[in-house]
Amino acid sequence: MNDIPTTCGFCSCGCALYIEPKQSGLGIKGLCPSTTHPVSTGRLCIKGWNVTPALIRTDRLQTPLIKKDGEFQPASWDEAFEVTANALRKIISESGPGAIGVIGSAKTTNEECYLLAKFARSVIATPNVDSACRFYDASLVPALMETTGVPASQIEIGSLESAGSMLIVGANVMEQLPHIGSRIQDAVENGCKVIAVDPRKSRLAPQASLFLHPKPGSDLTWIRALLKTIFDRKLYAETAPQMPGFEELRASLDDVVVGVVPQVCGIELEAIAEAASIMSQNKPCVVMFGLGILQQQDSTLLVKALSDIALLLGGSVMPLRGQNNAQGSCDMGLLRGYLPGYDSVEDPNARAKWEAHWACTIPPEPGMSAVQMVQGGIKALLVFGENVALSAPNTEQTISALEKLEFLAVSDLYLTETAQWANVVFPACSFLEKDGTFTNIERRVQRVRKMVEPIGESRSDLEIIAGLASAFGKQMSTEPSSVMDEIAANVPLYANVSYERLDSEWGLPWTPGEVTPRLAPIHASNLQLEDAEYLFYLIASRINFHTQTGTTAVRSTVLSREYPDSVVELNPADAERLKLRPGRVVRVSSRAGSVTRRLSVSDAIPQGCVHVPHYFGGDSANMLADGECDPVSGVPVYKGLPVKVEAV
Amino acid sequence: MNVGDKLILNKSNVSKFFSSLREEMRLVAPKRRFAGDVICDVVDSPEEIVWEYGHDIYPPGKRYLFPHYEDMFTYRFGEQVGMEIAADSPKQAIIGIRSCDVTAVRFQERFFTSPIVDPFYAERSRNTVLFSLVCNRPPKKECFCICCDAGPYLESGFDVQLTDLGDRFLYEIGSEKGLEATKNREEYLEPCSDDDIAERKRIELEADSFFQTASYIAKAIIYITGDEVPDEVWEELGSTCFRCAACTNLCPICTCYTVDDVPQGNELFTRCRSWDSCQYAGFTREASGHNPRSTFGSRVKRRFYHKASFQYIMRDGRHGCVGCGRCVSACLTKLDLPSVVKRIRRAMHDYIEPKSKPTAFLQ
Repeated sequence: MNDIPTTCGFCSCGCALYIEPKQSGLGIKGLCPSTTHPVSTGRLCIKGWNVTPALIRTDRLQTPLIKKDGEFQPASWDEAFEVTANALRKIISESGPGAIGVIGSAKTTNEECYLLAKFARSVIATPNVDSACRFYDASLVPALMETTGVPASQIEIGSLESAGSMLIVGANVMEQLPHIGSRIQDAVENGCKVIAVDPRKSRLAPQASLFLHPKPGSDLTWIRALLKTIFDRKLYAETAPQMPGFEELRASLDDVVVGVVPQVCGIELEAIAEAASIMSQNKPCVVMFGLGILQQQDSTLLVKALSDIALLLGGSVMPLRGQNNAQGSCDMGLLRGYLPGYDSVEDPNARAKWEAHWACTIPPEPGMSAVQMVQGGIKALLVFGENVALSAPNTEQTISALEKLEFLAVSDLYLTETAQWANVVFPACSFLEKDGTFTNIERRVQRVRKMVEPIGESRSDLEIIAGLASAFGKQMSTEPSSVMDEIAANVPLYANVSYERLDSEWGLPWTPGEVTPRLAPIHASNLQLEDAEYLFYLIASRINFHTQTGTTAVRSTVLSREYPDSVVELNPADAERLKLRPGRVVRVSSRAGSVTRRLSVSDAIPQGCVHVPHYFGGDSANMLADGECDPVSGVPVYKGLPVKVEAV
Repeated sequence: MNVGDKLILNKSNVSKFFSSLREEMRLVAPKRRFAGDVICDVVDSPEEIVWEYGHDIYPPGKRYLFPHYEDMFTYRFGEQVGMEIAADSPKQAIIGIRSCDVTAVRFQERFFTSPIVDPFYAERSRNTVLFSLVCNRPPKKECFCICCDAGPYLESGFDVQLTDLGDRFLYEIGSEKGLEATKNREEYLEPCSDDDIAERKRIELEADSFFQTASYIAKAIIYITGDEVPDEVWEELGSTCFRCAACTNLCPICTCYTVDDVPQGNELFTRCRSWDSCQYAGFTREASGHNPRSTFGSRVKRRFYHKASFQYIMRDGRHGCVGCGRCVSACLTKLDLPSVVKRIRRAMHDYIEPKSKPTAFLQ
């Protein structure tokens, strides 16, 4: 009967809402936002209102499944753990733990992420630990560690309202993070000047004082030109010259020829000058960027360049991350090369500290990224709560790599496109069926509360990981609050977090402690996107009726109804030139794959580009990505790929 | 004791009164939740009722009479083919409900019971008695019931109306249902004096001056009814919409719903109805794929036509807003009724010459 407060699990804004479970039968009876919570403030977005009921359904996985002779058979938990442990032990004895990969989720709780990192590094002892963030936004970690020193947003969502100016690059923020979008509207009403940058005219347009549409792949050129303009016109903050790296940054921009911007980027020179003066005259300025930046080649360099802009102007950086616990999963060390709290696995002191905490030996090498793991090169893979078959680049290649694995275990709510290839499937329960915490985009650690009993025999990932550990003869806690106590004791960023505290007030953002921001040099890059045969650039996006790979959104009556058909969009002039009428079925193909959809035309799409929004059931723009990655972070390139469009 | 009686319920007797009522029905009342939130919910004891509260964001009258997700009935295929009603309709008192929400419940009752009777709603409505609580001060800055003839106090429409007079409540019986709920508890009530009535009048008059939001809906009704608002205005409004549909979800008046047949396993299905919204494209999209309201602007227009055109006012007996202010606080942008009404009024000057003659509809 009572509504239970919890944290929404559908984007990184982290709204608080009350949910009333049905007393009899499956599902929920109602929900409403919290009015006192600093993010939700009495409001929810379309996903918050609609996706929750799609989690509690009878088509969820009910029991563990073990594949025998190519067919899934229901199994007991003990059997599933035993089969998994035996398979892993066999591979460890034959090929060593380095032949095993572990991919975690940015949707599961902090406790689950922490325990998975601990299990992978201390029980299996593999260096190959990573999370879904590798497919989305992991490039911000190395970039921001070098510049702001904080691999997270520097500011809170609530403080956006008082920003003087914003530079928002490559983010469909109004659709993907509506609570941030709403704060942007409020800020504009308070006089804030928004500079939006996106090849496509997005729903930010009504808010933007200046909207730049760079050619895909040309971001580094205009950003360097903007940095150069800030230096040349001395628009930087008074304190900027004292900042470490100031002269190196200035020197790295020596070769910038601002005059090439119109030709390379399709942006007028005046617009660059105007952007620089808007930001320097309207303080504080906030620099935000989304997957449009984070999923490019050179994404780490681009993030550094954008944070340099913020630092030079005395402003702050807010990366726009997508998944509800993207921040927490990275904080918990579910990240290639990092231990919890961003301790580098290559740092012997950090390793020694965690070896003492976990009573184990931690391999010193950084290991493979999630992308490398699904591209082959390992023998066994454990995947928790991420539909890698669809979220990884080059779907065809990914699926054939999953097929070739000696052993694959998947933990998920539904029999996803990834789980279908598994040897063992663990039925996991949703965030409505477990306790834990999520950390939102502004570093706020917040409680997730159990309100319904797990569907069928499903278990929380915490119990699943502990069950696996137990099959290896290691005991791990299945009590979320005691796992959080362990996190608080071992991870300084979370030192003040306890359930006792989180049960008496809304969570507080963690504070980074003493950091010295540093300007990073931004050298030119030799990025080449042109392809003589594939003449269009791909603009991949996610619309607001869609989350992640669509596994839950497609099960929501409202969301799937709002998004009944997948389309690709072209500028009307391009459609006319190619003699393609709207409504016609077209194929968009790259060197890696193709999607076939109905054509729609829109003036919002620049000429020479094709817009492919993500759709349900594997009909995703990711099929077009070839697996090329940013060399520093290993995040795949999904944006600006050369593609061609033809009638079918 | 009769309908129309005005009595006194001393605060020292409140607990006993509602404990006694609880023996006959469940009590739904404002309840303190996490970190200062107050939401109406079933209370186990009258001690849990928060009398000093502002306003529940989740309209209690709508929630407990027309639930957000409601199992109507179950059906089964196969050998045991059959159907069973799943909707429940417990006897309940909604205590502390505000005047705006009482007005909205009466609107929804009319919608769900005439001309076609919705049996689930009708049964629930029969079993529900509303103990409304007058707002001595507008509870939030977004409130504008005073512009919508829906508060802060009611002349009629309530079952029982309580006005806080400090150490006592003025207890007004407004309906047979209210009378019925009072009968076994006369011992806790006292006659009221002229001073009590005078104090209540004073509070009423004083409350009027504290409203911070005003909505001149009358003029908007004329413009909307005459179809005079330029489409550019609707599209401009629609361009900022986040499509969350909080405006209709949390509107205590909105009645639209959709149905889903939810599989429960073993050939058993539940027909579940859930709130739907005219703000969704899928709400009006036809099977052919054609959508008569394909743009955001056209859907915003649709919402305000339903709220404020004479066509619906004639049918429903009043315009579709009670001034509860929920659309103001729940909207991610500014598509709440007062803002849209203001925009329409301004637009009439921006886009067209003022008209001297009445609109076609009024002629």
